Amino acid sequence: MQTTVFDQLGETVYHETLPNGLAVYLVPKEGFSKTYAVFTTRYGSIDSHFRLKNGEEINVPDGIAHFLEHKMFEKKELDVMHEFSKNGASCNAFTSFNRTAYLFSCTDKLDRNINLLLDYVQEPYFTEASVEKEKGIIGQEITMYDDNPDWKVYMNLLKAMYQKFPINIEIAGTIESISHITKDNLYQCYETFYHPANMVLLVVGSFQPETVMKWVRDNQSAKDFPPAPRIERIFPEEPAGVAKSRVEANLTVGLPKCLIGFKEKTNGLTGKDLLKRELTTKLVLDIAFGNSSALYQKWYDSGLITESFDFDYSGETDYGYSIIGGDTPDPDKLVTELQAGIRGLIQSGIHQQDFERAKRKKIGLFLRSLNSVEFIANQFTSYKFNGSELFSVVPTLESITREDVEARMKEHFVFEQMSVSIVRSASPQE
Amino acid sequence: MSDSVKDISFHTSVIDGINVHIMPTRKFKTTTIVTMIEQELSEENVTKTALLAMVMKRATARFPDAKQLREYLDFLYGAIFDVDVTKKGERQILHIYMEVPNEKYLSHENGLLEEAIRFVGDILCRPYVENQAFAEKYVSQEKETLRKRIESLIDDKMKYANQRVTAEMCKGEPYALLVQGRTEDLPGIDGKSLYEHYQQITSRSPIDIFVVGDVKESTVEKAVEKHIRLNRQDVHAMKPTPAKKQVDEERAVIEKLDVNQAKLNIGCRTQIGYADEEYPALLVYNGVLGGFPHSKLFVNVREKASLAYYAVSRLESHKGIMMIMSGIDVKNYDRAVEIIKEQLASMRQGNISEEELSQTKATLSNQFRELLDSARMMIDFAYNGVISGRKRRLEALLSQIDRIKVEDLKRVAEHVVIDTIYLLRDKKGEA
Repeated sequence: MQTTVFDQLGETVYHETLPNGLAVYLVPKEGFSKTYAVFTTRYGSIDSHFRLKNGEEINVPDGIAHFLEHKMFEKKELDVMHEFSKNGASCNAFTSFNRTAYLFSCTDKLDRNINLLLDYVQEPYFTEASVEKEKGIIGQEITMYDDNPDWKVYMNLLKAMYQKFPINIEIAGTIESISHITKDNLYQCYETFYHPANMVLLVVGSFQPETVMKWVRDNQSAKDFPPAPRIERIFPEEPAGVAKSRVEANLTVGLPKCLIGFKEKTNGLTGKDLLKRELTTKLVLDIAFGNSSALYQKWYDSGLITESFDFDYSGETDYGYSIIGGDTPDPDKLVTELQAGIRGLIQSGIHQQDFERAKRKKIGLFLRSLNSVEFIANQFTSYKFNGSELFSVVPTLESITREDVEARMKEHFVFEQMSVSIVRSASPQE
Repeated sequence: MSDSVKDISFHTSVIDGINVHIMPTRKFKTTTIVTMIEQELSEENVTKTALLAMVMKRATARFPDAKQLREYLDFLYGAIFDVDVTKKGERQILHIYMEVPNEKYLSHENGLLEEAIRFVGDILCRPYVENQAFAEKYVSQEKETLRKRIESLIDDKMKYANQRVTAEMCKGEPYALLVQGRTEDLPGIDGKSLYEHYQQITSRSPIDIFVVGDVKESTVEKAVEKHIRLNRQDVHAMKPTPAKKQVDEERAVIEKLDVNQAKLNIGCRTQIGYADEEYPALLVYNGVLGGFPHSKLFVNVREKASLAYYAVSRLESHKGIMMIMSGIDVKNYDRAVEIIKEQLASMRQGNISEEELSQTKATLSNQFRELLDSARMMIDFAYNGVISGRKRRLEALLSQIDRIKVEDLKRVAEHVVIDTIYLLRDKKGEA
């Protein structure tokens, strides 16, 4: 077992890669009551076109990774959720664009819960009947998202930015696409992507690392796995430009919603470079649009934005984008003002004191998020998948210079790479 | 070595008519300071208090400009700061939330804790005032923001349906009010009347300040004495929220809106509040019925009938209301209501297995122990004790839960009555 100590943060990470390829990370948090474990596979909604073990190329229906996540909870003899309940644990799972995570939190019976987590994710059980039944439940989940204007404006923006890359499809698919899912598809996907070598187990909370590592080793060595398949994902070539510069939809809302996205032109970064790009871009966004910025105050004071105004940056190896916006009475004006604001900032450059302040703020906020085992659990693996390290955030932030931020600002804010998504009510009465 | 927190226990002292509750712990990398101002939820004041929260966070005497104020928070290492209102039973709580990093994780820093308490004092005691009134520019901007906030309730259909069923069910009771207030009250409020309201609240309403972090009690108390001074006059106590209300008949309300998924919300009265002896049994009752994925609603509405993605029940512990919520296809309305009613009936018959009971106790206990990992949730737990007039110890509550039997749940079930069935549906079919 390897140990990595992060002195400044007072955190230690224990790590081991098991003979079957499973990467295990343990982050003990002394004094905490709960333990949170996440078992993640590097398989998400974008992995819809790939090569099977036998070399055959396959296109699976949209929404299958999410459907598979739902079906993992059903077993022949037992109901997984009920088993966790017996141990007092609450369990959950989620599917994102590039991963599927199964998790639980508990304050008791950690050994049983860890074994249960490993066992149920490693024992698929699908029948035609249960696959059919799940279509009703997921159908309601999809319908629920269809009524959610915040989700709609966000997904529409991704569809506007990306022409071919499958981040432009709904994670849960559509009622039509999931109707084609069969138990055989589910087994094909499972066998391709759920090998231990494609997965990470992370445990954060109150425990002795040696003890937990032994439980995991024992659990895994008792099971047989075939050699790890070589995973070959097939992604379409994404053109540099956006699919559409503007997209609108109607849904009942109090005020129109407007999101503005900047698509990353250059992808393929990993590890430290990717982490640095992410943090630098987040600093740029905070300096430009954070609630102590001149633009934010001006827009808020004039009523152009509300407290819902927000921004974020998502930077992965295969794709990256920033999203800025929120509720506004006048989406077109917000877009014009934002473009003018960015031009102004690029021209005037960034003041040293604004840069220092943003950096200080980010460091404080990061320290705060380490209070949350959920935050660590959810972020740690996604950084690992990108070859970087959650606990390197502070030193990386400290290494960023004002010049880095200015260069990133010019590189990232390119209006040809920009799309706008708007959701408003069909008529003013609604 | 870090200490292990086993229970939620604050040390309380009274400073200048304010209750100061402190809980030293080395568990967190930040210090959390939450100030709660308790008020009766009332038509007369609900909008004013909601607006006051928004105006208070814009500026203070020391930071008269909103940008300066925000820059100062960044300087305090991105201190988390907010002023907002929440509803707890028939109380409107105005709270000031503040969280700053503990300086021991920052090289060359000290005095952050005192700066944070001073800042809370700025917000609470030294607002930005012009001629005995809040500045008109902030008041008018925030009136507009509040109006938009109230109007945007409709964006989230789940929240919207929940507020609508509450308003229908509690017509004539203060609990029906939306905590953000009513848009029609806004034109009648100006900087002067809002400032009078501020003075009224800060001098007479009960105020509690909670501090959680790696702090020394004496340091916090000294800083509070120095920076938080209000002219406190006869603070008035409030009578507890009534949890009992006779239901004469079950009502049904259907509302149409442009939606794809129908929202079915069933409001029940439980006649049991946070301070009552039967409260632990109510927690278990709600858990067996609809609190968890092993609960009757989830199993029967979702897993067996495949009608919904979510089917849950939630308690409002001070008011004694239990809300059952589900998202369904409108054509399944009758069936969903029938299945839900069957579950309520089966609770009354005591049709509860040993396994359902033990799973619920185990998950409830887990949920309560998880509070210990969040300063914010521990403060909320302690504050429930303050406003209900019955302080509960976490360990005691857990052992009460552990002793609950099926008979206790049957007794609770006898009090649980459906008050209002609310359906938010599309505009297509017949009414």
